[in-house]
Amino acid sequence: MTKFQRFLLKRLAISVLLTLVAVSVIFVVLRLLPGSPFEALVTSGNLNQEQIDEIRAMYGLDQSIWVQYANYLGSLLTFQFGYSILRSQPVWDVLEPRLINSLILLVPALVTTAILSSLLGMYAGWNRGSRLEKFSIVSTTLLRSTPVFITAIFFIIVFAYNLEIVPALGMRSIRATPDGYIETFASLDFLHHYLLPFAVAVLYYSGDFLLLARNGVVEKRGSEFLKLHRAKGLTEMEQLARAGRNSMLPILTYFTLRLGMIFQGLILLEVVFSWPGIGRELVLAIQQQDYPLVQAAVFIMALAVILANLLADVLYAYFDPTVSTSGGGSA
Amino acid sequence: MSTETKPKAELYKRVDALWTTVRDQFAFLRQDPMAFAGMLVVGAFVFLGLFGPYLAPHDPIEHTVRGDGGSVLRLAAPSVDAFFGTTAYGKDVLSQFLAGARPTLIVGLFGGLGTGALGFTVGVVSGYYGGWVDELLMRLTDLTFSLPFMPMALLLLTFMTPNIWLITAIIAAFLWKMPARVVRSEVLSVRERTFVKSARASGASDLRTMLYHVAPNVLPIGFLYTAYGVAWAIAAQASLAFLGFGDPTMTSWGRMLRQVFASGNMRVAWWWVLPPAIGIAAITTSVFLIGRAYEEVINPEIQTDQ
Repeated sequence: MTKFQRFLLKRLAISVLLTLVAVSVIFVVLRLLPGSPFEALVTSGNLNQEQIDEIRAMYGLDQSIWVQYANYLGSLLTFQFGYSILRSQPVWDVLEPRLINSLILLVPALVTTAILSSLLGMYAGWNRGSRLEKFSIVSTTLLRSTPVFITAIFFIIVFAYNLEIVPALGMRSIRATPDGYIETFASLDFLHHYLLPFAVAVLYYSGDFLLLARNGVVEKRGSEFLKLHRAKGLTEMEQLARAGRNSMLPILTYFTLRLGMIFQGLILLEVVFSWPGIGRELVLAIQQQDYPLVQAAVFIMALAVILANLLADVLYAYFDPTVSTSGGGSA
Repeated sequence: MSTETKPKAELYKRVDALWTTVRDQFAFLRQDPMAFAGMLVVGAFVFLGLFGPYLAPHDPIEHTVRGDGGSVLRLAAPSVDAFFGTTAYGKDVLSQFLAGARPTLIVGLFGGLGTGALGFTVGVVSGYYGGWVDELLMRLTDLTFSLPFMPMALLLLTFMTPNIWLITAIIAAFLWKMPARVVRSEVLSVRERTFVKSARASGASDLRTMLYHVAPNVLPIGFLYTAYGVAWAIAAQASLAFLGFGDPTMTSWGRMLRQVFASGNMRVAWWWVLPPAIGIAAITTSVFLIGRAYEEVINPEIQTDQ
């Protein structure tokens, strides 16, 4: 077994273990919640004891906590999250379209911002001390440190309310009744609703990539290999391209980490824009105490983080073997 | 001289040196216009957090603004009766803004300090001892990285009544991982330096070496991440309050934004939106700008993550 394979195996084992701990924490937290979503049903629904028992049995709540835990783990492994209590629908049927809605907003935004702001950051870093560098750093610091919902509110007020260029809420206009994903997303109406949240997401994430790229280039500027390139007579831009290529690794790993964490920033973005995604669904499900829906949504979010961390570590170790492969994932 | 006083004298010397460093940093920050502006904003914010509730002309929740005719002014634009206008419930926006600075300051300050202190301790211990201690602590940070902050915080705040200290604790419990990792990697390099090795060779205990030789050398980066922790804590608190998971007994800027958003008055009542929104944006940005200027002093080549 090579050193890299050993590292990979260890990192995988850690990820599995972390997933197990994470889902257990979710399970425990949910069991600790006072009251249950059934109480509302029971008090309002005029159910008799028999019917109550039947419902509890249906959701497995009459079994011992260990059996419930085992069932819970089994259900997560097979992605069978059970039935949503308030929507009377399988949880996955509720979550799947919302997950798609979330990804369609965030993945293109993240890719766009990673490319654009990295390029801008490299250029800014190359021209260290210039007005462009100062301006880009201050403006992206403003955008990345301000909570995303506040940026979103400002954008809504300016572009939706005052200039009336784009709608403030939702993903499609209320009257639209699209059928299937292609009809939903391939329309001008969707694009119209898409612009504002997309722009806010791009701007919100731009700061990290810009700083990362800028720092990378600043670091490389004085290094020997660039002196060699200059001596070889490469133009400024060609030198920058080489310095930039050498700062790609942190950007790449950071991109994977961000990809795993997108759902978190997304919760607020989706609530402000009433975007029917997984984050907004989670907030609604928590308010309605819809356990199965909550645990599935949180599980998906935790899984995304764990997988992205794993991928980032592996990428780093693979592309840069000088970074300790023995460190076990704390890259 | 007894053996007792020697470490004390040493400590004074170190505190003195630290104070000089702080003064130097301060002088440096004054040269950077953005950082200086940031400091002014932070100063104003601390003042508001301490005295805001006393400056508020009215009770932010109880008092209802009334016009000349005695009728309640709802959604009134700024006027002499209410300088910042009124909310949909006839409350004075200026009073809410002034009172709302306090929870923001409390969570920011203590959340940031908690984040910094916890992360610093974990980072120093983990980096200094290495081996299984390091392994254990780093897996623990991996765990907090794996539990997504927002959803977990929402879950926890559902089954415990949100109050400001609980929110502070949750924020610190999730955010310490960032300083922990950075401090640890700094410690790893400090540990190999000659003065640390000679201290250990001359028989200094682990605790002593950590406290006197390792910790002071990674303190600046600890401070920096404490400052960032303040900004993260403020942003997290505002976000939670906006989602309706804030302390229900206190007026905060995040809660003001939730109310204007939830009441559907965002379109008209700009005077109700702007004060809390600008307040939060200004304070988080200021802390980050100071941090960035400071970061260049500590290590011009440092890379920002998260």
